[in-house]
Amino acid sequence: MTDDLEPLRRARPDRLLPDDPPDPEILAREKARLMSAITGPDGVVVHRRTPSIYPRLAYRDEVAALDFLTRAFGLVERRESRMEQPGGLLAWLEIGDGVVMIGRAGEERHGLFSPLDVGAPTAAVNVYVHDIDTHYHRAESEGAQIVTPLEDMFWGDRRYEALDLEGHRWHFAERLPEIRA
Amino acid sequence: MEESDGAVIAGSLETPGAFGAIFDRHGSTLLRFLARRVDPAEAEDLLGEVFRIAFERRSGFERDRDSARPWLYGIAANVVAKHHRSEARRFRAMARLSARRLLDEDPAERAVAAADAGARWARVMGAIGTLPEAERQVLLLFAWEELTYDEIALALGVPVGTVRSRLSRGRARLAALTQGRDTTTDVPLTSCDAGGER
Repeated sequence: MTDDLEPLRRARPDRLLPDDPPDPEILAREKARLMSAITGPDGVVVHRRTPSIYPRLAYRDEVAALDFLTRAFGLVERRESRMEQPGGLLAWLEIGDGVVMIGRAGEERHGLFSPLDVGAPTAAVNVYVHDIDTHYHRAESEGAQIVTPLEDMFWGDRRYEALDLEGHRWHFAERLPEIRA
Repeated sequence: MEESDGAVIAGSLETPGAFGAIFDRHGSTLLRFLARRVDPAEAEDLLGEVFRIAFERRSGFERDRDSARPWLYGIAANVVAKHHRSEARRFRAMARLSARRLLDEDPAERAVAAADAGARWARVMGAIGTLPEAERQVLLLFAWEELTYDEIALALGVPVGTVRSRLSRGRARLAALTQGRDTTTDVPLTSCDAGGER
């Protein structure tokens, strides 16, 4: 669209910095403040720190990925941090004290691509969970592609590996009690 | 299917904590809106203010509405209006930033003499800060937030016809301010931009 508002549109701050999210922690903190104002000092105030390091995974269809990762792998979205934009959705998902960020793949999306684009995953996400057996069966029944079977490893983990809907590789494990090692 | 915002807000009259879902759905959008309009650090504080006002006024929200977003934009626009000095400061900072970045990124802009192009972006941002409040609100909700006329009307609580007339007055004023003020270049703003389309 070429019109007289184009210079103004192009001066919009996030057109200058495309796809640069605000710190998701700001939203978590402001939500906690709001909830404590609403429900009083006894309300549940959750202050979750964002880890110093967390990966960002790229998907062709990040909306489908969000659904899949929560359904099949039991990740929980930090819903207040979600960013919806015409060019794609950014979401932060957590499990335990770990966080992954997901967004749309593309050159203009920080040059990150889906395994569907590349032909292979180039990284794996390692996740420790409770009750690995239940986790495994849930992932399998929700359509995750299991690539290494659930098994006890000599170093004391029980683990399996699976590909998500676009082929990112996930490694899920539980630390075995000594007795099982 | 998620419950509509109207249903969530209606439920929050009984169970106040349910209002948190409204923050979940719209908090990041409103934070970005605020961060475009005032200093980023101040935007965080204003975000809390917007949602606390919304919570207090939630009984006035019509429960058959699907989305609370226009309503929240309206509250946020009022909050921004109360902080116009911060907004003006933000526009000046953005004028400097946008002039520099756009020159780096856009080959079409480099074709224009650098000083002229930089001055032009600064003029757009400078002019926006001097528009009458009502026109600036409509113009920015339309151009930056990409709300429809109907959504802007809902947000500001005015008829759609008023949105249209404010928008067209704002555009005319913006064009006059950005073109009229500059006598150092004979390239008018609009033709410059048409030439920059790829």
